[in-house]
Amino acid sequence: MIGILLAKFKTFIRNPWTFFIFTGMSIVFALMIGGTGGMSSIPVPVSSADDIKESAIGEALEENEVYTFNWMAEEEMKKRVSSGKAEAGVILKEDSYEVIVGVASSNVEMIEQTIQGVYVEKRQNEKLLEMMGADTESSQQEFLDNMEQSIESPVFSIEASSFRSADAVVHDSASHSLFGFTLFFVIYTIAYNVLSILIEKKDGIWDRMILSPVKKWEMYVSNLLYSFFEGYLQVIVIFLVFRYWFGIDFNGRFLEMLLLLFPYVFSIVALSIFITACVKNTQQFNAVLPIIAVSMAMIGGAYWPLEIVSSEILLALAKINPLTYGMEILNGVAVYGYSLEELLFPISILILMGVVFMGIGIHLMERRHV
Amino acid sequence: MLELVDLTKRFKQNEAVKNLNMFIEKGEIVGLLGPNGAGKSTAISMLSSLVEPTSGDVRYNNKSILRNPGPIREVLGMVPQEIALYDDLSALENLQFFGRIYKLKGKELQIKIAEVLEQIGLTDRKKDIVKTFSGGMKRRLNIGVAMLHDPEIIIMDEPTVGIDPQSRNYILETVKRLNEEKQMTVLYTSHYMEEVEFLCDRIYIMDQGNLIASGTKEEIKQILSSEHTISIKADRWNDRFIEKLKNNPTIHRVKVEDREITIVVPKEVNMFATLAKMAEEADLELRSVDINAPTLEDVFLHLTGRALRD
Repeated sequence: MIGILLAKFKTFIRNPWTFFIFTGMSIVFALMIGGTGGMSSIPVPVSSADDIKESAIGEALEENEVYTFNWMAEEEMKKRVSSGKAEAGVILKEDSYEVIVGVASSNVEMIEQTIQGVYVEKRQNEKLLEMMGADTESSQQEFLDNMEQSIESPVFSIEASSFRSADAVVHDSASHSLFGFTLFFVIYTIAYNVLSILIEKKDGIWDRMILSPVKKWEMYVSNLLYSFFEGYLQVIVIFLVFRYWFGIDFNGRFLEMLLLLFPYVFSIVALSIFITACVKNTQQFNAVLPIIAVSMAMIGGAYWPLEIVSSEILLALAKINPLTYGMEILNGVAVYGYSLEELLFPISILILMGVVFMGIGIHLMERRHV
Repeated sequence: MLELVDLTKRFKQNEAVKNLNMFIEKGEIVGLLGPNGAGKSTAISMLSSLVEPTSGDVRYNNKSILRNPGPIREVLGMVPQEIALYDDLSALENLQFFGRIYKLKGKELQIKIAEVLEQIGLTDRKKDIVKTFSGGMKRRLNIGVAMLHDPEIIIMDEPTVGIDPQSRNYILETVKRLNEEKQMTVLYTSHYMEEVEFLCDRIYIMDQGNLIASGTKEEIKQILSSEHTISIKADRWNDRFIEKLKNNPTIHRVKVEDREITIVVPKEVNMFATLAKMAEEADLELRSVDINAPTLEDVFLHLTGRALRD
C-alpha cells in the first residue's frame, strides 16, 4: 500500500497541473463572483451648491461605504432618476435636503436614513460648539478632535446584539461564493484522481497489481486515500489563502471548519468511484463529470443560496446532493455560528452517502471490470 | 506443469474461447498463435487467474487454480499487450514501484533492478521519464517489470506490437536468453508467424475461439506434407491469369499479393509447364516460379482459408 501511495505522490510531483488549475480556478471564481473584500457600493447621484461638497456633510457622505455619492448638476441628477439609471437622487442644501424618488424601494429609505444621519450629526456638532462657546475656528477644531477621540475610547463599552428568527436568512455573498466554488472545483480534483483506477485498469497496471501479493482492498484503499488527500489539500490551500491573504476569519472557527469538511471530501471520493464504475472509458467520464458537477453545484446552492429556490423538485433533489450538506456545514460554522450538535445532521448524511456510494461503486467496478 | 482443460469463456452472446485444451511443460517456450480476435488474450487472462472461465479448469502442478490462484500468481510474470507502466515516472521509479509491490526491499530490490535494466538494455536510460521513451524501449521496460520477481513462468501477450524491427529482434533475443539461461517457461502469444517460428518449441494455433492445430513446428508443418507452396512473381498481374489459376482444379488455394501469387498444389503435380502455358495465354511475363517448404503461415492459410493478418 505504501508503494502505491509513493507512486501516486511521485506522479503528483511530476504532474501537479490539474491540482493547481482547479485550486486557482476556485480562488479566482470566488474572488470574481463573491467580491471578497467588501460588498460593492450602490451609486447615488447627488447635487448641491459647491460649498456643501467641501463641508462636513460632503466629507461624511464621501466616507460612506454602502453608497457612492456621485456629485453632479441638478438637471443631470433628475435625468438619471427619471430614466431609471438611479433608484433615487438627493439635492443637498445648507440645513435640509430633498430626496428625488424614481423607484420606491428599500434602498430609498436607507439612502434617506443615511443623509438624515449626516445632517443630524452636523446639527449636533453645531449645537455642542455653541454650548461650549467655541467661536474661533481653531478652538472648534480642537473641541471636535477631542470629542472624536472620546467617542473612539469610551468609558463604557456597549455590546449590541440582535435576535434572528428561525426563518430569517443571513447571506454573506463573499463567503457563499468562496464555499460554493471550493466545494464545486474540488469535485473535479477528486474525480480525476479516482479516474486513474479506470485508466490503470485499461492500461493493465491494475492486472499486474492483482497478480502481485498486494491485496485488492489495499489497491482500492490506497487509491481512494490518495484522492481524499489531494482533494482535502486543495480545500486547505484555498481556505488558507482566504484566511491569511484576504483576512477572512471564518467566524473565528477556521480549524473547526476544515475538520468538518472531512465528511464532504469523503462523500465526493465515494461519488467519484460510483461515477467511474458507471462509465466505460475516459471519454465517457469526461462527458459525464461536468454535467454531474455543475448540476450538483446549481442544485446544491453553490452558485446562489438555496433559500431563493422555490421549486419543490429542485429542493427535493438538493436533499440527495452532497454539496447541499457541505454548504450547510460551512455556512453553519462560518456564517451562522452553529454548534457541533447542530451540524450532526449534515455530517451524518454525508457519511451515509459516502458509505452507500462507495459500496455500490466498488461492487459495480468489480462486476464490470476485472 | 500448467494445464488448461476444456476451457470456455462466454461474454453475453459471444463465445471468446471454446473448449480450449493445452498444456505447458517446465522450461519450454510455447507459442499461442492466431489473428486478432482469435481468443488468445482471453485464454491467457484465464490461465493467469485474471478472468474466471465460464466452464473448464486451469491446473497448475495438478491443482486447480480457480478457487486458489495464489500458487500460480506467485510464480507468474505477466507482460500485457498494453504498456502497463506509469508514464510520468522514470524507468527506475517504475521498477522500484513494481518491485515493492512484489515485496522486494532495500539491497535486494536494488540488485534486482540493476540486473533487469541490464537484461533489457536500459541501464543508461534508467532515470528518463517513460513518456519520453520510444515504443521499443517502453516494450522492453514492460517486459523488465514482469521479470523483477524472478518468475518461473512468464506470459507475454503480443509483446512486439507496433515497434521497429531492431527493438523486436532485441526482445526476441532477450526472451530466448531468459529461457536458456534461467530455464524460464514462456507462453508467447503473437500473430507474427516468424516470431513464433523463431522462439517456440511447441505451438498452439487459435482461430475464432477454437484451437485449430497444435504440436511442434515440424508436426504442424506436416499438415501440409502432401502439398507444395509455389510462389509466382511478375511485375504486374492481369485478371485473365488470376482467373485461370482460380479455375484450375489442381490448385487448392490462390493468394494474390502485390507482386507475388502463392498457390498450393498437390506434391506429385508438376506445375511448371501448366503455369508457363497459362501465362502465355494470358499474355503475361513471369519473373520467377519457386517451390517453397511450407511455413506456419501456409498452415494457417490451409486450416482457415484466410491469411493470419487478414
